[in-house]
Amino acid sequence: MNAIDLYRWMLTSRQFESALSSRNPRWFSTEGEEATIVGSFAGIREGDIAAPHYRGPFVTYLMRGADMKRLACQAFGKAGGYSKGRSVPFMGPAALGFVPWVAGDLGTSLGIATGAALALRRGGRGRVCVCSFGDGTSNRGDFHENVNLAALWKLPIVYVCQNNGWAISQPSRSYLPAPIVERAKGYGIPGVALDGNDVEAVHGAVTQAMERAAAGDGPTLIEARTWRKGGHWANDKTPYRTAADVPDHPCDPLDLMRQRLLDRRLANAADLERMRDTLVAQVDAAIEYALSQPNAGEPEFGLDEVLAPANSV
Amino acid sequence: MNQVKTQADTGTAVRQPRLTFAQAVIEAIRHEMRADDTVLYLGQDVGPFGGVMQGTQGLYEEFGPQRVMETPISESSMAGVGLGASCFGCKPIVELSFGEFLPAAMNQLINQAPNLHYMTAGALSPQVVIRTRAGDGPYGGHPQDYSVWFCHVPGLKVVMPATPPDAYQLMRAAIRDPAPVLFVEPMSLSHGRREVVDLDAADATLGSARIARAGKDLTIVAYGSELPHVLRAAEQAALDGVDAEVIDLRSLAPWDETMVMASVRKTGRLLTVHEAWKAFGHGAEVIARVTEVLGAEGRTVRVGRVGARPVPIPSGPLRKLALPALQEIHTALLQTAGIAPRS
Repeated sequence: MNAIDLYRWMLTSRQFESALSSRNPRWFSTEGEEATIVGSFAGIREGDIAAPHYRGPFVTYLMRGADMKRLACQAFGKAGGYSKGRSVPFMGPAALGFVPWVAGDLGTSLGIATGAALALRRGGRGRVCVCSFGDGTSNRGDFHENVNLAALWKLPIVYVCQNNGWAISQPSRSYLPAPIVERAKGYGIPGVALDGNDVEAVHGAVTQAMERAAAGDGPTLIEARTWRKGGHWANDKTPYRTAADVPDHPCDPLDLMRQRLLDRRLANAADLERMRDTLVAQVDAAIEYALSQPNAGEPEFGLDEVLAPANSV
Repeated sequence: MNQVKTQADTGTAVRQPRLTFAQAVIEAIRHEMRADDTVLYLGQDVGPFGGVMQGTQGLYEEFGPQRVMETPISESSMAGVGLGASCFGCKPIVELSFGEFLPAAMNQLINQAPNLHYMTAGALSPQVVIRTRAGDGPYGGHPQDYSVWFCHVPGLKVVMPATPPDAYQLMRAAIRDPAPVLFVEPMSLSHGRREVVDLDAADATLGSARIARAGKDLTIVAYGSELPHVLRAAEQAALDGVDAEVIDLRSLAPWDETMVMASVRKTGRLLTVHEAWKAFGHGAEVIARVTEVLGAEGRTVRVGRVGARPVPIPSGPLRKLALPALQEIHTALLQTAGIAPRS
C-alpha cells in the first residue's frame, strides 16, 4: 500500500473513531495507535483472514470494503449493523474474511485465528492470517498455547502485538517482566520489535512476515510499540496515570506520516486539508444515517437463529 | 476389532458388524472422514498409539498425520483451532481426552463456540465436534461429569449416547451438523457389550430420544452410563407390578421434549436418572419443564430424581458411595410409582 493510502486510512480511523467516541462514552479510544492498526492490515489480500484487536478494528473493516454506514449502525446497536445488533459494538463483517468479535473475552481470537491459518494452509492457495492483540492479552494462556502450536505446525499466521503500554488502568510495568518480543525465542520463531507509531515500518515488517508465512516457514511475532493517548474508553480521564508514565514526546503517528508526505512532496498541505474535509463529511454522513435508523428489535432478535439449521449442509 | 479392520481394509461386505461403543465411534469417524476430506481429527495420543482408551485405532494409519493431527496439551488452543478451522472451511473433530479437561478450554467452548453463528447473524457456522469421555470407567480415572454445564448455554448441542448403534449414528450426525456439538462418551460403556451396528443406518438425529423400554405406569428419563442400570431396575420393578417406560435421552441439549411429554401424559409419573450430580442436574430441568407444560394442561405429575451425591467424585472404593447404584434406582422407581418397596 502506498504512503498516501496509509495516511488516508490512519486519518479515516482518527476521524471515525473520534466521532464515535464523542457519542459513546464507553467506546474504546484508539487515538495514537493508528499506525499499528493500519500497518498490520494494509497488506491483507483477497482470501487472507484478518483477526484485528478489539481496539480500533473499524478501519481494518473499511480497508476490506465494509460499509461505513453499516459500521456506524453496528456501533450504535442498530438493526442495520453487521450483527443485526446482536454482538459487541466493535464487531465487523465476518463474511469479508474476519475473525469476528462475538464476546467480550480476550485471547480466544488467537485460537480462532490460528485455526483459520490451519484452514488456509489446507486450502493451499498461499493465503495467510494476520492476528493482532494487545499487550494485556499477551498474558493470556491462549497466547502461549497458540503461538506454540502455530510454530510447531508452521502455520501461515502473523501475530502482531499492538503494545500500547496499558491494560485499562495498569501500566505495562505492572504486568510485563520482559519485552513480549523476547518470547519468540522460546517458540523458535522470528521476533521483531519496532516503532508502532511508524505505519510504514509496521506495514513493511508485517508484509515480510506474511511472505514468510505464505512460503510455509511459519509464524512471526511482531511487537509494535505504540501509545494509548487516551483512556481505556472515551470518557476515561486516566486519573491513574502519573507524569512518570507519559513519554517526553509521545509521537503522533499521523503527524509523523503527514510530515513524510510533505517532505517527499507526495502531497501538499492543501491536498491533505481536502482529504481531511472529505473524510469528515463521509464520517458525519455515516453517523447521521446510523442515528436515524431503528434500534435492533424483535425482527433481529432471532431466537430461532441460535443454531444453524441442520439441513443447511 | 479385527472384524472391523478387515471390512475397513477391504471395503467388503460386513455392513453390520458387532462393535463396542468405542469401536462404533471410530467407525462413524472413519465413515465421515472417507466421505469428506475436510473432516479433520485433532487430539493427544491419536497417532500410532491409537488414542486414549483405544479411541482412535486405525484412523491415523488410514488418514495420515495431515488429517489425524497430534497436538500439544493445550486444550484452549485445540478448541479454538477447531472453531477457527471450522469457520473457514474445515470440519474438525477435536478430542479433549476426558471431561475433566473441558474446563481448560472453557473460554472457547462457552464464550465463542455457541456465539459464533448467532452473533455473526449466520455469516459463520462452526461445524465442529468436541469429543470427550466422562464418568466412571474401567480404569477409574477422570470420573467427574460436567456435561450438563454445556446444556445451560444456548448455541451448543450436547449428546451422550448409551449404545453402540447410537454412538455410531450420533457421531455421524454430529460431524454433519453445522452447530458445535459436544459428544460425550460414558466411559463405563466404552468397552462394554458389543452390539450389531448397521453402518448404513442413519435414522438417529441430534435432539431425538429413544424408547429403550415401553411401559405404561411410570416414565424414566435417563442417559449415558445409567441406561443399563435403569433397564435392570425396570425389570425388577415389573415383578412389583410396575410397568416402567424407559426413555434414553441420547441428546441432552436440545432434548426431546415431545417424546418425554407424550410419555408422562400417559404415565403421570416421572423419574430422572443420571450419573452426574443430582443437584442442578439435567433431571432438574426435565422435571421443571414437564411440570411446567403438563401443569398448564391441568395435570399433576409425581416426580423423583436419582443422581450422584454432592461430593467431588472420589477415587477408589469410595466412588460407589457417590454414584447412583441399582438399588437406589429401584427404590426411587417404586417411590415415584407410589409403591412401598418390598422389604
